[in-house]
Amino acid sequence: MDLLQATLVVVVLAPGVVFAVFGLLWLTGWVPSERVLSRVTGATFSSSVFGLAAIVGKLLWTRTPSVEVAFGNWFAVHNYHFPLVLMADRLSLPFLGMTVVLSGLIGQFSATYLHRERGFLRFFLLLHLFAFGSLVAFAAGSFDLLVGGWELVGITSVLLIAFFQQRTAPVENGLRVFVVYRACDIGLLVAVFAMHHWAGTASFAAGLPKLTGGQTVIACLLLLLAAAGKAAQVPFSEWLPRAMEGPTPSSAIFYGAISIHAGAYLLLRVQPMIAQSALVSGLVIATGVITAIHGTIVGRASADAKTSLAYASLTQVGVVLVEIGIGWKSIAIVHVLGHAMVRTLQFLRAPSMLHDYHMMRSASGGELSPTGKHLEDLFPKGMQLWLFRWALDRGHLDTILDRLVVHPLVRLSRAFATLDHIGLGQPMPRQREAAISGRSSAGVGGD
Amino acid sequence: MTGFGLTWSVVAISVPWLAAILTSVGRRQIRVIGFTAALVSALASALLLSAAPPRESLDEALMVLFSCLTLGAMLMVPRRDCTSGTIAGMLFVLGSTLLGYSAENLLVLLAAWFLTAIPFCLPQWFAARTWRPRAGLLLSGLTLALAIGLIAASGHGMSISTLRGQSPGGMAVLALLVAAVVFRKGICPAHAWVADAAHGGPAIPTALLLNGHFGALLVAKLVVPLFPYAARDLFPVLSYFALATALYVAIRALTENSPRRLLAFIALSQSACILAGLESRTTEGITGALVHLVVVTVSTMGLFGILRLLEVRFGENLNAGRHLGLAEHAPRLAVFFVVFGLALVGLPGTLSFCSQDLLIHGTLASHPLTGLLLPMATAMNAVSIFRLFTRLFLGKRRTGFTVMADALPRESLILATGVLFVVLGGLFPTAIIALQSAQAETVEQAMRVTHSIRSKGDMSRPALNASRICRRSD
Repeated sequence: MDLLQATLVVVVLAPGVVFAVFGLLWLTGWVPSERVLSRVTGATFSSSVFGLAAIVGKLLWTRTPSVEVAFGNWFAVHNYHFPLVLMADRLSLPFLGMTVVLSGLIGQFSATYLHRERGFLRFFLLLHLFAFGSLVAFAAGSFDLLVGGWELVGITSVLLIAFFQQRTAPVENGLRVFVVYRACDIGLLVAVFAMHHWAGTASFAAGLPKLTGGQTVIACLLLLLAAAGKAAQVPFSEWLPRAMEGPTPSSAIFYGAISIHAGAYLLLRVQPMIAQSALVSGLVIATGVITAIHGTIVGRASADAKTSLAYASLTQVGVVLVEIGIGWKSIAIVHVLGHAMVRTLQFLRAPSMLHDYHMMRSASGGELSPTGKHLEDLFPKGMQLWLFRWALDRGHLDTILDRLVVHPLVRLSRAFATLDHIGLGQPMPRQREAAISGRSSAGVGGD
Repeated sequence: MTGFGLTWSVVAISVPWLAAILTSVGRRQIRVIGFTAALVSALASALLLSAAPPRESLDEALMVLFSCLTLGAMLMVPRRDCTSGTIAGMLFVLGSTLLGYSAENLLVLLAAWFLTAIPFCLPQWFAARTWRPRAGLLLSGLTLALAIGLIAASGHGMSISTLRGQSPGGMAVLALLVAAVVFRKGICPAHAWVADAAHGGPAIPTALLLNGHFGALLVAKLVVPLFPYAARDLFPVLSYFALATALYVAIRALTENSPRRLLAFIALSQSACILAGLESRTTEGITGALVHLVVVTVSTMGLFGILRLLEVRFGENLNAGRHLGLAEHAPRLAVFFVVFGLALVGLPGTLSFCSQDLLIHGTLASHPLTGLLLPMATAMNAVSIFRLFTRLFLGKRRTGFTVMADALPRESLILATGVLFVVLGGLFPTAIIALQSAQAETVEQAMRVTHSIRSKGDMSRPALNASRICRRSD
């Protein structure tokens, strides 16, 4: 392993090691001070930024397309093996850079923002675990490893939504987000197994697995399901306002920057496969267009700052998907980077948005023209009202998913419970709450 | 079995039984006696495992796992439950379960089958409040007894090794053995007793009973080796039932509010996946099933243990219908719970990520359509376990508790050991997977022999070789 490879390994592993060390120390009863935590976080991500800069510099200098580190197989059974390959190429490096830069920034911001907050340690541990998961997902050289990072991002995201655990709404919304993540992740899991089954490998370090036309379509559709779930694309967008229950810094890094773009990364990674099928390309574009329109309409009717920012994010990610579907990979990458940076800044400024607005109004001489009014005026008055109602209920996506998926499942579960009670001679226990319907109101904004 | 093996088997089995008698009589230092007996049993089992060839070490590996599990249970049992009856019962179950694992004779296996069930049928020991657990265990024992009776009636001996590949008693015996598996394992429609046992019986001993995995043992020890021809055709049916159970129970768990029932459903669903993996006829699937058995055993034991600790601290009537906010009082127990819970359903970085990976891969390879049920069931189980976590540990803080509610050092030690096992096992899975893979290859090879014989009508050279390997292992 040369220095470049070692640097990549250190960059990816560093947040994981910090998480493990502080987690174990906490279990033994030691609670680090806020200063220690923020300094370690700063040092970790600063050194990662320098490490990544060195990798980029070296790759540019030597005109090498990528750096790969192969650790062999994590485990192997018979013909099946789980390759452990880390890779930094032109696609993954921007995402790796974005992750370490924004994680470091959020770490520094949160040290002040969450000062003396209960759960300060928990936030930082989850931030490190999230960064580790993201780095693994973006630096993975195989879909197998990508699944590992992907799942870690999902679970940390959910735990941070439920960060303010004393209130019921964040906890219930976290559960709802978890449901959507797990449901959509089935697509990624099955796609990976399908690739193993058909191509004998799910590694993309030496090129994407070779599949036939039909196999490519199936694999891409499954991956699109996973990407749509993670990127909150229609019809899975309803989880995004619920995710705003978490603390603002985590909202910024997850739903303004990294987590929301993980789906786009996955699609960018398999873009050559997508390009092989007009059907899949069309579906990716259609998903992006519908989500962008949905996001912009619903965002205009959102009553709180974080939710409207979340829908603005959704709109942009929809546009990124359109770019991927068309085949504009480079534009999509630049778009993701620019959007992530701007949106993170907006999220972090969200708590002082009113103050900013007043400042801007004063600076402009007391009047600010409403944005997008010219677009709204294009629609007749009746349709504007209809759209407003539609936007207020967030496109009825919550209701549709509840009616089509959640309620039938809950009814089925209760029917099974009734069956199970036959012969017991005891009354059925009363079901107090729907299990996974997430009753609490969504999108009320976090602290 | 060699003299060395016999000696250590006798030690591993008899020491817990003797200790059970001692604790029943002496009633002093019972935790120490129980711990020591389980430790001796674990060490003896470990010696057996080290001496056994890797390809033929399934029984010994299970013995080590179960004795370590009981060792952990001895430390985790809260003081309120640490009575001579409980400890004696757990030691009795340990000895009986190890007897079942090491049995080379059908009558010994039958005896172990009943002995492990007896404490859960007697009201003064671990009997549940409802009749279904007793019925389930009794029916499984009776069907197994009938099967063995039919084998004896057909003029065969009782030694398992001499019966291999002979299909003793024909389809009737096979059907009875499958019925015994269905009842003992809790495969649909005989699943309800498992939840009843967990709900109405003592949590930790019931977890020990469920984690004996006698149903899977019967499949690996009797069904496949004794009925290779019929098993090939009928075994997929059992696999479909197992997959259906995994999904049914996973859906059932979605609205369950009793924490014990919910945990039992999730454990059952994940255990059913083990049967599906064993049937996959791929080395990956069988290895995944064997590794998953280890993960399910450790994780469910940890979860039931934590639940019992919570019941002791916060009251017996915990309900997942509302948020209890216990993480404020017991943050370490919350962390242990979420790690064990997510480890059960394939959290990356834990051993179950590897086992699920292999299991789903093997199942999808052999049954592409029905295999899809497995990731669906796992996803639903993940939702249920996370829901249970949020309801138990998150939410508004309860007031009025003045006691230190978090894990005691003794409990922390054993729970941390379990967490480290599933995490380190997940980060460095090679050793565990290699061991289970060797055992899986033996099972898979036996199945392949059958397939080869069936498809060609005679024994080809590879099939003969495999058959010789199997016979040599006798």
